[in-house]
Amino acid sequence: MIPRQVFAEPAYSAMAAAVFTSMLVLMLAASGFVFFEPYVVGHVPPGSEANLATIIALSGVSAVVIPMNVYGLRARAGKPGGFFGSAFGAAAGACGCGPAGFALVSALGPAGAAASAFLANYETPLRVAAIGVMLVSWWAAARSIRAACRVDGKLTRGQKF
Amino acid sequence: MNAKYAIFAAAAVAVALVVVVAYSPQEQAPAITRMHGSVSTAMGSPILGDPDAPVTIVEFGDYQCHQCYNWFHNSKPAITEKYIDTGMASLVFVDMAFLGRDSPKAAQATYCADDQGMYWAYHDTLYQMQEPRIDGGWASEERLKAFAFLLNLDQEMFDSCLDSSKYANRVQTNVGEARKAGVSGTPTFVIVGPSGEEKIVGAQPYLVFERIIESVA
Repeated sequence: MIPRQVFAEPAYSAMAAAVFTSMLVLMLAASGFVFFEPYVVGHVPPGSEANLATIIALSGVSAVVIPMNVYGLRARAGKPGGFFGSAFGAAAGACGCGPAGFALVSALGPAGAAASAFLANYETPLRVAAIGVMLVSWWAAARSIRAACRVDGKLTRGQKF
Repeated sequence: MNAKYAIFAAAAVAVALVVVVAYSPQEQAPAITRMHGSVSTAMGSPILGDPDAPVTIVEFGDYQCHQCYNWFHNSKPAITEKYIDTGMASLVFVDMAFLGRDSPKAAQATYCADDQGMYWAYHDTLYQMQEPRIDGGWASEERLKAFAFLLNLDQEMFDSCLDSSKYANRVQTNVGEARKAGVSGTPTFVIVGPSGEEKIVGAQPYLVFERIIESVA
Protein backbone atom coordinates (compact mmCIF):
# COMPACT_ATOMS: atom_id res chain seq x y z
CA MET A 1 0.00 0.00 0.00
CA ILE A 2 3.02 2.33 0.18
CA PRO A 3 4.05 3.32 -3.33
CA ARG A 4 7.80 2.78 -3.42
CA GLN A 5 8.49 5.59 -5.86
CA VAL A 6 7.31 8.12 -3.27
CA PHE A 7 9.68 7.17 -0.48
CA ALA A 8 12.49 6.19 -2.85
CA GLU A 9 13.07 9.93 -3.19
CA PRO A 10 15.05 11.27 -0.22
CA ALA A 11 12.97 14.46 -0.12
CA TYR A 12 9.79 12.51 0.63
CA SER A 13 11.50 10.32 3.22
CA ALA A 14 12.78 13.47 4.91
CA MET A 15 9.30 14.94 4.74
CA ALA A 16 7.88 11.81 6.38
CA ALA A 17 10.43 12.03 9.20
CA ALA A 18 9.71 15.74 9.67
CA VAL A 19 5.94 15.22 9.71
CA PHE A 20 6.19 12.36 12.20
CA THR A 21 8.54 14.21 14.54
CA SER A 22 6.75 17.54 14.45
CA MET A 23 3.26 16.06 14.87
CA LEU A 24 4.40 13.78 17.65
CA VAL A 25 6.14 16.55 19.58
CA LEU A 26 3.28 19.00 19.01
CA MET A 27 0.59 16.61 20.15
CA LEU A 28 2.59 15.21 23.08
CA ALA A 29 3.23 18.74 24.32
CA ALA A 30 -0.39 19.84 23.78
CA SER A 31 -1.71 16.80 25.66
CA GLY A 32 0.65 17.20 28.61
CA PHE A 33 2.88 14.18 27.93
CA VAL A 34 6.02 16.25 27.31
CA PHE A 35 7.10 19.54 28.86
CA PHE A 36 9.97 21.76 27.72
CA GLU A 37 10.10 24.22 30.61
CA PRO A 38 11.63 24.52 33.12
CA TYR A 39 13.16 21.15 32.16
CA VAL A 40 12.55 18.74 29.29
CA VAL A 41 10.55 15.96 30.86
CA GLY A 42 8.19 13.23 29.70
CA HIS A 43 5.29 12.00 31.79
CA VAL A 44 2.45 9.54 31.14
CA PRO A 45 -0.29 9.96 33.77
CA PRO A 46 -2.06 6.71 34.69
CA GLY A 47 -5.16 6.18 32.57
CA SER A 48 -3.92 8.16 29.57
CA GLU A 49 -2.19 5.30 27.75
CA ALA A 50 -4.90 5.01 25.08
CA ASN A 51 -4.60 8.73 24.38
CA LEU A 52 -0.83 8.34 23.97
CA ALA A 53 -1.34 5.40 21.59
CA THR A 54 -3.68 7.42 19.34
CA ILE A 55 -1.13 10.26 19.20
CA ILE A 56 1.63 7.89 18.07
CA ALA A 57 -0.69 6.18 15.55
CA LEU A 58 -1.91 9.49 14.08
CA SER A 59 1.66 10.80 13.78
CA GLY A 60 2.74 7.59 12.03
CA VAL A 61 -0.16 7.54 9.59
CA SER A 62 0.28 11.27 8.86
CA ALA A 63 3.98 10.69 8.14
CA VAL A 64 2.99 8.26 5.39
CA VAL A 65 -0.09 9.97 4.00
CA ILE A 66 1.08 13.60 3.82
CA PRO A 67 4.16 12.87 1.63
CA MET A 68 1.97 10.66 -0.55
CA ASN A 69 -0.53 13.49 -0.93
CA VAL A 70 2.22 15.95 -1.80
CA TYR A 71 3.62 13.49 -4.32
CA GLY A 72 0.13 13.01 -5.72
CA LEU A 73 -0.45 16.75 -6.02
CA ARG A 74 2.84 17.26 -7.81
CA ALA A 75 2.03 14.36 -10.13
CA ARG A 76 -1.54 15.70 -10.41
CA ALA A 77 -2.78 12.37 -9.13
CA GLY A 78 -5.03 13.19 -6.21
CA LYS A 79 -6.59 15.55 -3.72
CA PRO A 80 -4.94 16.56 -0.45
CA GLY A 81 -7.33 14.75 1.91
CA GLY A 82 -4.62 13.80 4.38
CA PHE A 83 -3.89 17.35 5.50
CA PHE A 84 -7.36 17.81 6.90
CA GLY A 85 -7.28 14.54 8.81
CA SER A 86 -3.96 15.48 10.42
CA ALA A 87 -5.09 18.97 11.33
CA PHE A 88 -8.34 17.65 12.76
CA GLY A 89 -6.57 15.04 14.90
CA ALA A 90 -3.98 17.51 16.14
CA ALA A 91 -6.65 20.07 17.07
CA ALA A 92 -8.49 17.48 19.13
CA GLY A 93 -5.62 17.27 21.58
CA ALA A 94 -4.57 20.89 21.50
CA CYS A 95 -7.72 22.24 23.13
CA GLY A 96 -9.01 21.89 26.68
CA CYS A 97 -7.14 23.57 29.49
CA GLY A 98 -3.94 24.27 27.55
CA PRO A 99 -2.92 27.52 25.88
CA ALA A 100 -4.73 26.66 22.62
CA GLY A 101 -8.01 26.15 24.44
CA PHE A 102 -7.44 29.33 26.42
CA ALA A 103 -6.73 31.27 23.22
CA LEU A 104 -9.90 29.89 21.63
CA VAL A 105 -12.00 30.91 24.64
CA SER A 106 -10.36 34.34 24.83
CA ALA A 107 -10.82 35.03 21.14
CA LEU A 108 -14.33 33.68 20.59
CA GLY A 109 -15.95 33.86 24.03
CA PRO A 110 -18.81 31.40 24.65
CA ALA A 111 -18.57 29.98 21.10
CA GLY A 112 -14.87 29.34 21.64
CA ALA A 113 -15.57 27.76 25.01
CA ALA A 114 -18.13 25.44 23.40
CA ALA A 115 -15.71 24.50 20.60
CA SER A 116 -12.87 23.97 23.06
CA ALA A 117 -15.06 21.87 25.35
CA PHE A 118 -16.21 19.75 22.40
CA LEU A 119 -12.65 19.12 21.23
CA ALA A 120 -11.50 18.33 24.77
CA ASN A 121 -14.49 16.12 25.65
CA TYR A 122 -14.13 14.00 22.53
CA GLU A 123 -10.33 14.10 22.24
CA THR A 124 -9.73 10.37 21.86
CA PRO A 125 -12.76 9.57 19.65
CA LEU A 126 -11.92 12.53 17.41
CA ARG A 127 -8.36 11.35 17.08
CA VAL A 128 -9.54 7.83 16.23
CA ALA A 129 -11.86 9.35 13.61
CA ALA A 130 -8.90 11.36 12.26
CA ILE A 131 -6.89 8.14 11.96
CA GLY A 132 -9.82 6.65 10.01
CA VAL A 133 -9.88 9.66 7.68
CA MET A 134 -6.13 9.32 7.20
CA LEU A 135 -6.42 5.61 6.36
CA VAL A 136 -9.06 6.34 3.73
CA SER A 137 -6.85 9.11 2.39
CA TRP A 138 -3.91 6.68 2.33
CA TRP A 139 -5.88 4.19 0.28
CA ALA A 140 -7.14 6.89 -2.11
CA ALA A 141 -3.68 8.42 -2.55
CA ALA A 142 -2.03 5.05 -3.20
CA ARG A 143 -4.71 4.20 -5.73
CA SER A 144 -4.46 7.52 -7.58
CA ILE A 145 -0.64 7.45 -7.65
CA ARG A 146 -0.73 3.91 -9.03
CA ALA A 147 -3.25 4.95 -11.70
CA ALA A 148 -1.23 8.05 -12.62
CA CYS A 149 1.95 6.02 -12.94
CA ARG A 150 0.26 3.56 -15.25
CA VAL A 151 -0.87 6.43 -17.47
CA ASP A 152 2.49 8.20 -17.59
CA GLY A 153 4.39 4.94 -18.06
CA LYS A 154 6.50 5.04 -14.89
CA LEU A 155 5.80 1.33 -14.35
CA THR A 156 7.82 0.53 -17.42
CA ARG A 157 10.87 1.69 -15.47
CA GLY A 158 10.47 -1.35 -13.23
CA GLN A 159 8.98 0.37 -10.19
CA LYS A 160 6.69 -1.64 -7.98
CA PHE A 161 3.99 -0.64 -5.51
CA MET B 1 -48.11 76.22 54.05
CA ASN B 2 -48.06 73.45 51.46
CA ALA B 3 -44.61 74.51 50.30
CA LYS B 4 -43.31 74.25 53.88
CA TYR B 5 -44.73 70.73 54.16
CA ALA B 6 -43.16 69.80 50.84
CA ILE B 7 -39.73 71.07 51.93
CA PHE B 8 -40.05 69.30 55.25
CA ALA B 9 -41.07 66.05 53.54
CA ALA B 10 -38.18 66.28 51.06
CA ALA B 11 -35.71 66.89 53.89
CA ALA B 12 -37.11 63.92 55.82
CA VAL B 13 -36.78 61.69 52.77
CA ALA B 14 -33.19 62.86 52.21
CA VAL B 15 -32.28 62.18 55.85
CA ALA B 16 -33.93 58.75 55.66
CA LEU B 17 -31.96 57.92 52.49
CA VAL B 18 -28.68 58.93 54.11
CA VAL B 19 -29.47 56.77 57.14
CA VAL B 20 -30.43 53.76 54.94
CA VAL B 21 -27.28 54.04 52.83
CA ALA B 22 -25.05 54.51 55.88
CA TYR B 23 -26.41 51.51 57.74
CA SER B 24 -27.08 49.12 54.84
CA PRO B 25 -24.96 45.94 54.94
CA GLN B 26 -21.82 46.47 52.89
CA GLU B 27 -19.72 43.79 51.25
CA GLN B 28 -16.65 43.40 53.42
CA ALA B 29 -13.63 45.19 52.07
CA PRO B 30 -11.31 42.58 50.61
CA ALA B 31 -7.92 41.90 52.17
CA ILE B 32 -5.98 43.37 49.28
CA THR B 33 -2.61 42.99 50.86
CA ARG B 34 -1.86 39.28 50.57
CA MET B 35 0.90 38.90 48.02
CA HIS B 36 3.03 35.90 47.14
CA GLY B 37 5.93 37.13 45.07
CA SER B 38 4.47 39.10 42.20
CA VAL B 39 1.02 37.50 42.54
CA SER B 40 -1.84 38.93 44.58
CA THR B 41 -3.60 36.00 46.25
CA ALA B 42 -5.87 38.16 48.41
CA MET B 43 -9.00 36.81 46.73
CA GLY B 44 -7.68 33.28 46.41
CA SER B 45 -8.06 30.29 48.69
CA PRO B 46 -7.08 30.09 52.32
CA ILE B 47 -3.48 29.00 52.74
CA LEU B 48 -2.98 25.24 52.96
CA GLY B 49 -0.15 24.41 55.31
CA ASP B 50 2.00 26.69 57.40
CA PRO B 51 1.42 30.35 56.39
CA ASP B 52 5.01 31.06 57.47
CA ALA B 53 6.48 28.31 55.29
CA PRO B 54 9.47 29.59 53.31
CA VAL B 55 8.04 28.47 49.98
CA THR B 56 4.55 29.08 48.61
CA ILE B 57 3.05 27.23 45.67
CA VAL B 58 0.42 29.34 43.94
CA GLU B 59 -1.77 27.16 41.74
CA PHE B 60 -3.98 28.67 39.03
CA GLY B 61 -6.62 26.10 38.17
CA ASP B 62 -10.09 25.31 36.91
CA TYR B 63 -12.24 22.65 38.55
CA GLN B 64 -13.24 21.25 35.15
CA CYS B 65 -9.67 21.00 33.86
CA HIS B 66 -8.54 17.44 33.32
CA GLN B 67 -4.85 18.34 33.59
CA CYS B 68 -5.57 19.92 37.00
CA TYR B 69 -7.21 16.61 37.93
CA ASN B 70 -4.06 14.80 36.80
CA TRP B 71 -1.86 17.04 38.91
CA PHE B 72 -4.14 16.71 41.92
CA HIS B 73 -4.01 12.91 41.75
CA ASN B 74 -0.46 12.29 40.54
CA SER B 75 1.86 15.05 41.77
CA LYS B 76 0.10 16.78 44.65
CA PRO B 77 0.10 13.85 47.10
CA ALA B 78 3.90 13.61 47.11
CA ILE B 79 4.27 17.41 47.33
CA THR B 80 1.85 17.49 50.25
CA GLU B 81 3.68 14.74 52.07
CA LYS B 82 7.19 16.08 51.57
CA TYR B 83 6.71 19.85 51.64
CA ILE B 84 3.28 20.97 52.88
CA ASP B 85 2.83 18.59 55.81
CA THR B 86 6.39 19.29 56.96
CA GLY B 87 5.97 23.08 56.96
CA MET B 88 8.48 23.65 54.16
CA ALA B 89 5.87 24.90 51.70
CA SER B 90 2.30 26.14 51.61
CA LEU B 91 -0.27 26.09 48.83
CA VAL B 92 -2.70 28.72 47.62
CA PHE B 93 -5.29 28.09 44.89
CA VAL B 94 -6.33 30.95 42.62
CA ASP B 95 -9.30 30.37 40.32
CA MET B 96 -8.74 30.51 36.59
CA ALA B 97 -12.31 29.50 35.80
CA PHE B 98 -12.53 29.67 32.01
CA LEU B 99 -13.25 26.24 30.62
CA GLY B 100 -17.05 26.12 30.68
CA ARG B 101 -20.22 27.58 32.09
CA ASP B 102 -20.02 25.37 35.22
CA SER B 103 -16.45 26.44 36.06
CA PRO B 104 -17.18 29.82 37.73
CA LYS B 105 -20.03 28.35 39.79
CA ALA B 106 -17.80 25.51 41.00
CA ALA B 107 -15.19 28.06 42.06
CA GLN B 108 -17.84 30.13 43.87
CA ALA B 109 -19.01 26.99 45.67
CA THR B 110 -15.56 26.54 47.23
CA TYR B 111 -15.83 29.97 48.87
CA CYS B 112 -19.33 29.14 50.11
CA ALA B 113 -17.74 26.09 51.75
CA ASP B 114 -15.02 28.38 53.08
CA ASP B 115 -17.72 30.34 54.94
CA GLN B 116 -18.08 27.16 57.02
CA GLY B 117 -14.32 26.54 57.28
CA MET B 118 -14.36 23.74 54.70
CA TYR B 119 -12.62 25.25 51.68
CA TRP B 120 -9.97 22.57 51.22
CA ALA B 121 -12.32 19.67 51.92
CA TYR B 122 -14.68 21.00 49.25
CA HIS B 123 -11.79 21.71 46.85
CA ASP B 124 -10.56 18.13 47.24
CA THR B 125 -14.09 16.77 46.76
CA LEU B 126 -14.42 18.60 43.44
CA TYR B 127 -11.19 17.07 42.13
CA GLN B 128 -12.18 13.65 43.41
CA MET B 129 -15.61 13.86 41.78
CA GLN B 130 -14.49 15.44 38.50
CA GLU B 131 -15.77 13.69 35.41
CA PRO B 132 -14.06 13.90 32.01
CA ARG B 133 -16.72 15.94 30.19
CA ILE B 134 -16.56 19.71 30.49
CA ASP B 135 -20.06 21.03 31.30
CA GLY B 136 -21.28 17.43 31.31
CA GLY B 137 -23.36 18.07 34.43
CA TRP B 138 -21.02 16.82 37.12
CA ALA B 139 -20.49 20.41 38.38
CA SER B 140 -24.07 21.63 37.95
CA GLU B 141 -25.57 23.66 40.79
CA GLU B 142 -27.49 20.60 42.01
CA ARG B 143 -24.32 18.52 42.16
CA LEU B 144 -22.39 21.34 43.86
CA LYS B 145 -25.09 21.41 46.54
CA ALA B 146 -24.96 17.63 46.79
CA PHE B 147 -21.20 17.81 47.46
CA ALA B 148 -21.93 20.21 50.32
CA PHE B 149 -24.39 17.66 51.68
CA LEU B 150 -21.70 14.95 51.46
CA LEU B 151 -19.40 17.12 53.58
CA ASN B 152 -22.12 17.75 56.18
CA LEU B 153 -22.10 21.48 55.59
CA ASP B 154 -25.00 23.63 56.75
CA GLN B 155 -27.08 23.04 53.62
CA GLU B 156 -29.33 26.06 53.93
CA MET B 157 -26.41 28.41 54.40
CA PHE B 158 -24.47 26.86 51.52
CA ASP B 159 -27.45 26.87 49.13
CA SER B 160 -28.27 30.46 49.93
CA CYS B 161 -24.65 31.48 49.34
CA LEU B 162 -24.45 29.65 46.01
CA ASP B 163 -27.86 30.87 44.79
CA SER B 164 -26.98 34.48 45.57
CA SER B 165 -23.71 34.33 43.56
CA LYS B 166 -22.13 35.99 46.58
CA TYR B 167 -18.62 35.16 45.42
CA ALA B 168 -19.00 35.81 41.68
CA ASN B 169 -16.89 38.97 41.88
CA ARG B 170 -14.23 37.20 43.92
CA VAL B 171 -13.87 34.50 41.27
CA GLN B 172 -13.76 37.10 38.50
CA THR B 173 -11.08 38.99 40.40
CA ASN B 174 -9.04 35.79 40.59
CA VAL B 175 -9.42 35.20 36.86
CA GLY B 176 -8.19 38.75 36.29
CA GLU B 177 -5.24 38.14 38.61
CA ALA B 178 -4.37 34.98 36.69
CA ARG B 179 -4.38 36.91 33.43
CA LYS B 180 -2.21 39.59 35.00
CA ALA B 181 0.23 36.88 36.04
CA GLY B 182 0.45 35.76 32.41
CA VAL B 183 -1.43 32.52 32.90
CA SER B 184 -2.63 31.10 29.57
CA GLY B 185 -3.66 27.60 30.55
CA THR B 186 -4.33 25.46 33.58
CA PRO B 187 -2.83 24.31 35.76
CA THR B 188 -0.08 26.92 36.04
CA PHE B 189 2.02 27.26 39.17
CA VAL B 190 4.15 30.05 40.55
CA ILE B 191 6.61 28.78 43.13
CA VAL B 192 7.68 31.62 45.41
CA GLY B 193 10.58 31.37 47.84
CA PRO B 194 13.32 33.45 49.42
CA SER B 195 15.55 32.94 46.37
CA GLY B 196 12.97 34.09 43.85
CA GLU B 197 10.03 32.71 41.94
CA GLU B 198 9.60 30.23 39.10
CA LYS B 199 6.65 29.36 36.89
CA ILE B 200 5.64 25.80 36.02
CA VAL B 201 3.08 25.34 33.26
CA GLY B 202 1.06 22.14 33.07
CA ALA B 203 0.48 19.04 35.17
CA GLN B 204 4.17 18.30 35.49
CA PRO B 205 5.50 15.39 37.55
CA TYR B 206 6.59 15.64 41.17
CA LEU B 207 10.31 15.62 40.32
CA VAL B 208 10.01 18.97 38.53
CA PHE B 209 8.32 20.52 41.57
CA GLU B 210 10.96 19.04 43.86
CA ARG B 211 13.78 20.64 41.86
CA ILE B 212 12.08 24.02 41.64
CA ILE B 213 11.05 24.10 45.30
CA GLU B 214 14.60 23.23 46.35
CA SER B 215 16.01 25.90 44.03
CA VAL B 216 13.85 28.76 45.39
CA ALA B 217 13.91 27.68 49.06
